[in-house]
Amino acid sequence: MSKKQPTTLSFLFTPADSAAGEDSNPHAKTSTNVAGTLDALSSRFGDAIEEVTAYAGERTVRVDRARIIELLTFLKEDQGYTYLADLGGIDRFTEDDRYEIMYNLVNMDKGKRIRIVIRVDEDQMVVPSATGVYKAANWNEREVWDMFGIRFDGHNDLRRMFMPDDFEYHPLRKEFPLLGVPGSLPLPPQTPSGGLTLDPFARAHGSVPPKSYDEPAGEDD
Amino acid sequence: MASDSSLSEGFLTTRVDAVVNWARSNSLMPLPMGLSCCAIEMMAFAAPKYDVARFGSEAMRFSPRQADLMIVAGWVSYKMAHTIRRVWDQMADPKWCIAMGACASTGGMHRCYGVVQGCDNFLPVDVYIPGCPPRPEALIHALMDIQEKVRNEYSVAQDGHFGQEMTPAPPARPRVLSSGGGDAVNPDGLYHQQ
Repeated sequence: MSKKQPTTLSFLFTPADSAAGEDSNPHAKTSTNVAGTLDALSSRFGDAIEEVTAYAGERTVRVDRARIIELLTFLKEDQGYTYLADLGGIDRFTEDDRYEIMYNLVNMDKGKRIRIVIRVDEDQMVVPSATGVYKAANWNEREVWDMFGIRFDGHNDLRRMFMPDDFEYHPLRKEFPLLGVPGSLPLPPQTPSGGLTLDPFARAHGSVPPKSYDEPAGEDD
Repeated sequence: MASDSSLSEGFLTTRVDAVVNWARSNSLMPLPMGLSCCAIEMMAFAAPKYDVARFGSEAMRFSPRQADLMIVAGWVSYKMAHTIRRVWDQMADPKWCIAMGACASTGGMHRCYGVVQGCDNFLPVDVYIPGCPPRPEALIHALMDIQEKVRNEYSVAQDGHFGQEMTPAPPARPRVLSSGGGDAVNPDGLYHQQ
């Protein structure tokens, strides 16, 4: 029985290197080679396509956010990208046009993937909602609202996805402290009728939740 | 002559406490507060291989009214904490609590804004289990520690207070299982097994 030789590990896409060409990369997938779609987009939208980048064999198309819904509709109706695989926010913090929103789309028939990106500046934190095109965008847009504070115009149920409704901050912004803002998230009371605990490290500061009944002394005490 | 008055048979003296505690400790009904991956180990703990039925705790109760041992298995988010406390308040006394795993005990690797850094910030925890996740044996060990705690209580005297106004007791000393196996030892060495 011949033993299968393990393929040599090669890291083709380390950030220090420029990405290898698709010819020299044995792992490059044709699924992200979407030249036909890119041609159709540029002929249809022209200047609205701001930038097309290729990294690791994947195409990212940055477009004017004013035309994103039109573009998504075009991709869905004409190009067959019927599946919104992911939608998320990116905080670039110190850059101009600080936030990005990315849409990962999949064409199930042809097995193609494309990524669309729009940029959002801190001055205008409102973006048209993609829920009219892809219903799957609903929860993802709620998550982006929760985590980054970007509103989606036309979303019919824009509540917070993860954090409590009365939470005041947007935790995935870079300036948000990792351990949170003390006092912003209350802990439950330590007794059945007590008040909320606002210190997140109550136990470390000496507060001990009492047993709700008088715990008997043990024989070994 | 004493044997005549008891129909020529031997007799046994005991305390009601011993009987009550024997019954309580061998029929602890856990409420599986399974919140993440520790819950998988908790299922193994109840399943035939580890078979917690040997300790009388195989009856997992999802109703707080029927349970007297809460096993907090997994990380506790701030949102979930309020629900856990509510379920805990609904459990009838006497009741005990196990913080299973690093996350439930201290927040574990989730040192971030959304996760409570240890469920003892709002629950009176009796036994902490280290591990990520702990093995089912560790959970059985914790259960045995709870059993030992129950067996050493003056339960009848306590039950006499039932219905009276509760006075908060000084906190019971929490017990920490040593991860190296063997007897459970507190960091300060105060706890000695009988």
